[in-house]
Amino acid sequence: MGVKKRISGCVATANAVKLADVDVICSYPIRPYTGIMSELARMVADGELDAEFVHGEGEHGQLSVVYGASAAGARTFTGSSGVGVTYAMEVYSPISGERLPVQMAIADRTLDPPGDFGSEQTDALCCRDQGWIQGWAATPQEALDNTLMYYRIGEDPRVLLPQYACQDGYFVSHILGEVDIPDAAQVKEFLPPYKNHHVLDPRKPQIIGAQMEPKMGPGMQYQRYLAIEGARKVIEEVHEEFGQIFGRKYAPWVEEFMTDDAEVAIFMQGGHSTTCKTVVKRLRNLGEKVGLVRLRTFRPFPTEQVREALSKFKAVGVVDNSVNFGISGGAGVLLTEARTALYGLGDKVSTVGFVGGLGGEMITHEEFYKMFQILKEVAKAGKAERQSYWLPYEL
Amino acid sequence: MLEEIKSIKKAPIEEYYVPGHRTCAGCGPALQYRLVAKAAGPNTIFIGPTGCMYVANTSYSCGPWAVPWIHAQITNGGAVASGIEAAYKAMIRKHKTDAEFPNIIVMAGDGGSADIGIQALSAAFYRGHNILFIAYDNESYANTGIQTSPTTPYGAWTTFTPAGPVVPEGKKLMPKDLPKIMAHGHPELKYLATASLAYPLDLMNKVRKGLNAQGPAFLYVHAPCPKGWSFPADKTVEIGKLAVETGMFQLYELVDGEYKLTYKPREFRPVAEYIKLQGRFSHLKPEHIEKLQQFANGRLQEVGIEVSVPVQ
Repeated sequence: MGVKKRISGCVATANAVKLADVDVICSYPIRPYTGIMSELARMVADGELDAEFVHGEGEHGQLSVVYGASAAGARTFTGSSGVGVTYAMEVYSPISGERLPVQMAIADRTLDPPGDFGSEQTDALCCRDQGWIQGWAATPQEALDNTLMYYRIGEDPRVLLPQYACQDGYFVSHILGEVDIPDAAQVKEFLPPYKNHHVLDPRKPQIIGAQMEPKMGPGMQYQRYLAIEGARKVIEEVHEEFGQIFGRKYAPWVEEFMTDDAEVAIFMQGGHSTTCKTVVKRLRNLGEKVGLVRLRTFRPFPTEQVREALSKFKAVGVVDNSVNFGISGGAGVLLTEARTALYGLGDKVSTVGFVGGLGGEMITHEEFYKMFQILKEVAKAGKAERQSYWLPYEL
Repeated sequence: MLEEIKSIKKAPIEEYYVPGHRTCAGCGPALQYRLVAKAAGPNTIFIGPTGCMYVANTSYSCGPWAVPWIHAQITNGGAVASGIEAAYKAMIRKHKTDAEFPNIIVMAGDGGSADIGIQALSAAFYRGHNILFIAYDNESYANTGIQTSPTTPYGAWTTFTPAGPVVPEGKKLMPKDLPKIMAHGHPELKYLATASLAYPLDLMNKVRKGLNAQGPAFLYVHAPCPKGWSFPADKTVEIGKLAVETGMFQLYELVDGEYKLTYKPREFRPVAEYIKLQGRFSHLKPEHIEKLQQFANGRLQEVGIEVSVPVQ
């Protein structure tokens, strides 16, 4: 049986990495994800975890170290935040291109400027199209559970893709929550040792990452596309099995909160959804038909599931906790993805974008009330007056 | 342990860098690659950062190695090798593999070692990984069509340092000295040497010493490039020898912090004899050649050779 502890998202993630019996870890300090690595360093020093703990020379080095280690057959872990995530950009595509199921934790953080340490999903979303599985945890418990599920999904021979296990900086990474740390034997049953068929082993020489002539490239890209599309089935299976073994049942794609008979809803991902839930509950107490749809897996994007979830509302407010300057709709990538998912439904569902919580600011209860107020007006009018609002300046 | 190869005739006949690539005729980097692979033997993994020895070797989604090879970015050869080494250490310790610890060799060009790759290289050596990092120096970004790198000599023409009325000498800067950067400031360093494809026995034995060193080993190999330096394809070895005999390149090992020459010509020849065979220096005027001679004399002095060639 597992043990229950009050721990942060960082410590929860470190516990999952230990349970996964990772072989090679590569660190580099940057707030707020650093806490994961300090906890892992302690576990290695105290003999709780047998792993090579490599001090990377930067985030680019971190991703390069785990690229090599994974190609040699090891289970690997790394992580970063903010500009560290973007500094490593070159290496993300080679990792997914060579089909190496590396895992990277991202405790998200704003890019520079402004250079504050605040939570914001821009860093991780910059890397969204690199062929990695990606999703956000909203609680420390979910951070731990996602870490285990992502290894299982990424290492599945039908997938073989790396994973960004994201959690909001501070709001999840540094706030304590009650976490059920599962039993090692149960984890072993759920997550068998990593076995890959294309490893660097002189007894079976293989060439990994050869250059190709232009006409050979598209076939390889198509395989990577098939892998991430094929991951959809595996993601569902793994969530199902996780629930059976550990008793925690997560929706693989979208978590719906008080959406029965709701006329308007917020669509978002990450830790700010916890604040939104409180507002939804209070509005429900006042008789308002409001709800929340929280996205759990961002890549592959669950187009069908999001369409199904959102198409039952008259108006949907999409909260983007990232900057995407000049993007269609003027808000963020979540708004464009949601609109794409709803494409073809005409005026049936009106969508409005809200950019909020930038630079680590809270999205306050008051702001969520205002968003729901706008959504009610949009639902009544049957159309939105404007595409999007930047909080707090335009709301 | 890999034994010393006593003579060129006693070198292993087995090849691990085999036909099936499209390097240029007379390619220096390819010639030294063959010798390195021969010396290292079958229990080897090569890491190939982007450069000629990636592009020209693997153009058709295959490669000329009889041992495992993995691509690295031009930036990160040292880090990828570190990861492979760490993985083998962990997996052997945790009984997750029954493989023997392999020779882990990075084959990086001068860009992937002295320039954009230096951060990953230095970090790997600082951390003490048991790897051999080979910088094959063809003194330019050759794969992209001959652009200057930090090791391109003073006065050399490249497409980024063309000679013209305003810049008569072409390249104006003196080259970076990578082995000396690596020799000092990396406390975990276990072996460091320079070598040349023109001295194959010396090269192969230095590869073996580096692999036997049980820690970070650095080998800097001079690898003339017919295309980039503009000389006939059958002159690669001759140019390699002339570089050493004129003092433009020095063959040494670092022993207890001191440079120990492994080959010293009886008499050094003027640098002018080396450069006159190469089109990349054809625009140089006497005052530029004089500067190159000073450069060679200075480098020789740094490894303990008193200058024997007068500056004209």
